[in-house]
Amino acid sequence: MTDLDPWDSALLSALDAPDSGSLETIDELAESSGISQPLLEVLAREGLLIPQIDEPSPLFDPSDAEAVKAGLELVSDGLPLAELLDLARKMDEAMRPVAEQAVDVFARFVRDSVEASAATGEEAAARLVEAFRSMLPATSRLVAHHFRSLLVASARERITDR
Amino acid sequence: MIHTRQVDQPLPLLDHHPGLVWLSPTVSMVGFGEALRVAAGYGEDRFLRADEAFRDWCPEVRDEVNLSGTGAVAFSSFTFDARSAGSVLVVPEILFGRTGDTWFVTTVDGADPSPYCHPAGTAEADTDRPRYAGASVPDVLWLEAVARAIERIGRSDLDKVVLARDFAVWSKRPFDSRLLLERLHSRFPGCFTFLVDGLVGASPELLLRKSAEHVESVALAGSARRSFDPEEDRMIGENLLRSDKDRREHDMAADSVGRVLEDICDRVIREAEPTLLELPNVRHLATRFLARAGADTSIFEMVARLHPTAAVGGWPTGAAIEAIRELELMDRGRYAGPVGWHDAAGDGEFAIALRCAELSGARARLFAGAGIVRGSLPEAELEETRLKLQAMLSALEP
Repeated sequence: MTDLDPWDSALLSALDAPDSGSLETIDELAESSGISQPLLEVLAREGLLIPQIDEPSPLFDPSDAEAVKAGLELVSDGLPLAELLDLARKMDEAMRPVAEQAVDVFARFVRDSVEASAATGEEAAARLVEAFRSMLPATSRLVAHHFRSLLVASARERITDR
Repeated sequence: MIHTRQVDQPLPLLDHHPGLVWLSPTVSMVGFGEALRVAAGYGEDRFLRADEAFRDWCPEVRDEVNLSGTGAVAFSSFTFDARSAGSVLVVPEILFGRTGDTWFVTTVDGADPSPYCHPAGTAEADTDRPRYAGASVPDVLWLEAVARAIERIGRSDLDKVVLARDFAVWSKRPFDSRLLLERLHSRFPGCFTFLVDGLVGASPELLLRKSAEHVESVALAGSARRSFDPEEDRMIGENLLRSDKDRREHDMAADSVGRVLEDICDRVIREAEPTLLELPNVRHLATRFLARAGADTSIFEMVARLHPTAAVGGWPTGAAIEAIRELELMDRGRYAGPVGWHDAAGDGEFAIALRCAELSGARARLFAGAGIVRGSLPEAELEETRLKLQAMLSALEP
């Protein structure tokens, strides 16, 4: 990874948000979260727990354990883990191309436009990071809201169909 | 008195909800009523205890057909673990059977078969969908047990262990065994479809077939999914034949069968290379054995020696059974145990009770297992058992 434009370097820094000092190995994550290491290893192999750093050994953001705990709440409420993993695989498969397309849209309509209109590289970098920091949570809210609406509509349809 | 006579017309096998069913590629038999029921109890000798009770009971026989499965016939189903209760042998009062084109009726003490001789019509039973009712062991814990088994395989002389899990369902109306049997038989015509004392299923795995001195067994282990895309399906099959992990797992199962047959039979012939046994939803590596039975060896002695094969227990057997008892955290009951029939002449067929469910009115307990070897991944084994359970669950749908 050499010769990055200043605005891409700034974006990359914004993407690598957690300080590597706060990252944990998988056994540390198991210890701090109370989630069994075999289960965390399964989730990592399934691509559902993504390390922030891969080399020399995978390091994870402790906040990822919170998402795993949310999943385990579904399990403790009665959803079999095998079914949850199957849903997660399908969600992953469906969402990856959407994520790639969203990044592509950002690059074509935000990054390229900022690059064309900014007076300096520093200004472009600042504007891009600001746009990214505002768009990431907005996108997350949008996706979560849409999926929640889909779930509710689907449940309503199931109930009324009976 | 037991009386077997040939009949000219095909008989309705499943129409009248027989309590005992065996539908195999070679013979079809169903039984009504019970002339003898033996609770075979615990212990390694549960097989021989059941056989002795059957032989002691066997009354005079008038057999006008003299084929495998005529005369005195018992259906039996044994627990996987000698420490578990539930092994049972039942002789029906009335048996309808077919071998090739020959249809026959066997009755005990003059029982009247006429109420069961005519088709009952095709009215659909009033059924409800299966509803999830939990599992003996949450699958998170099962996944962790698989991880512990993999770790144990890496640091001990345990080469393979088969871990099973269950899945309970309930319904607003009793499950219809006839519907389930018809579906299983039509979806898996090459399998052994069975119902013995509430245990119903369609197993692909022949533990032992004995006809006079001819003995046959098929070891199955190493599996892969099917695909609707013919090219992908062919590739998956080829990959299974080439997979080191699956081949290692398969060889353990085949060797465990081969060792026992060499010990108790003459002239054992083993297929040189495994072939693919293809079912609609899954394919397995299969090795067929042919052998000649020793003159004084009963089919139950053979079944007792063969069970549990490495395909359903693991290898070495003792270490695998210990691991199952420690890690599985549930009683398998008759799942993965021998199920089948035998007659007074010592002929019979036993399959391994896989792809099965214990039916009890509006409740059912479904089972599935997966072979764990070096290189196994817990999530892959969990997914394999999920797909196996789904296949059985779909057969219970209305």
